[in-house]
Amino acid sequence: MASDRSRRRLFFTGVIGTLILVTIYVSGGVVAGAKSAAHAVVYPFSWAADFVARPVGHLVAGVVNYSDIVAQNQQLRYELAQATMRADENASAAAQLRLVNQALHVPVVSSLGTVMALVTTNSPTNFSATVTIDKGQDEGVMNGMPVMGDGGLVGRVIDTSPHSATVRLLTDTGSVVGATFGSGATSVLVSGQGLNNALSVTQIPITAALGVGSLMSTNGLQGGLFPPGLPIGRVSKLLVNPGASNYSVTLTPSANLNNLSYVDVVLWEPST
Amino acid sequence: MTSARVLVTLATFMIVGLQIALFTQWRFGGVVVFIIWLWPVAVGLTGVTSLALFSGVLAGVLFDAQTATPFGLSALVGLALGYMSSRLGKEGVGDLDSAAWWVTPTIAAAAGGAAPLFYVISGVVAWDFSLWRGSLVNSMVVNAVAFFVLSRPLTRLALALCAPAMKVRR
Repeated sequence: MASDRSRRRLFFTGVIGTLILVTIYVSGGVVAGAKSAAHAVVYPFSWAADFVARPVGHLVAGVVNYSDIVAQNQQLRYELAQATMRADENASAAAQLRLVNQALHVPVVSSLGTVMALVTTNSPTNFSATVTIDKGQDEGVMNGMPVMGDGGLVGRVIDTSPHSATVRLLTDTGSVVGATFGSGATSVLVSGQGLNNALSVTQIPITAALGVGSLMSTNGLQGGLFPPGLPIGRVSKLLVNPGASNYSVTLTPSANLNNLSYVDVVLWEPST
Repeated sequence: MTSARVLVTLATFMIVGLQIALFTQWRFGGVVVFIIWLWPVAVGLTGVTSLALFSGVLAGVLFDAQTATPFGLSALVGLALGYMSSRLGKEGVGDLDSAAWWVTPTIAAAAGGAAPLFYVISGVVAWDFSLWRGSLVNSMVVNAVAFFVLSRPLTRLALALCAPAMKVRR
């Protein structure tokens, strides 16, 4: 029977071991190999659990939500028809815009290639906002590439493997994106506040032309981390405190980040 | 002891698999329930410290490999939870058969409430001060409730798997 002393020794050995792991991670050491090995070990178990549970989950969800799904389907058909009509109307305007931007040497997202990817896993933890997609290095996806979906910028690729990639969402607390709005005269930084939370924006002087509903898009600065013109979100709250010289702004992402199924990885390499 | 360790290892793999495949998708109040942290608590309540520590570290490391958060932090939390619950387990607190029905769930709920907070505080070790900006309070409440509900079946499973090690201990 182990004594209290040996148990304590075992505990502190474990603490030191995990602290060493954390330190290696923080200092940028060789953790990638350990991570991919652990990934490979867990994969069969998570696959098996998913294989068994998914059909059951779908069955229950289908039975419980059937009428909602029918209504949602009709709504989506209507919205698709509207969007198709608008897309047709915008086609010629987009072509003209592309010509103007080419003349000005401004990259346009619509002229960049994209890779469509399926979101396979949502963020597995409450402390980071990431998703995993089913496209990786073999499909041309590289670290740093922007990811679009569902009406706006979703985030940025932070990790890749041959057939999958991890995308850090805009709402992640480590996400910071350079943005602009209106005429593009003012540049701001948009940062994440955690999963399910709105985005925060750095100080904007009250002289700037900004209102609730204003669209913010990437400014193309930050050493070319993102191409310009990608819609980030719309202003949902705009406060001016008495005596303050800046707006207090809350931004809602254009893309619905809580319900991503398919996304487009923009084949844009940062600072190229 | 060896057979118990093998069984606990396999169970830990399955728990992490369930965490990734199911509990990640089922969000309550917008947050994830961390059964990877309930598992070392359940093993700890059997009183076998070495297995509690082992399951906490293993589940944490395997889970950390799937996330973009600092590698090793979940393992650190699992280790601490495993150690503290094993101290209680060794004293017979939380014994499913002799203690009142609510003792184990209450201990687990306390662990579920404390674990996300401890994780965020541990983030300082990794020089990551942004973890607290997530849904910390939601996470604490949801995990406390979920641990309360799930603790008895998981502790029952841990008792069954750790039985060989418990015999050796006696």
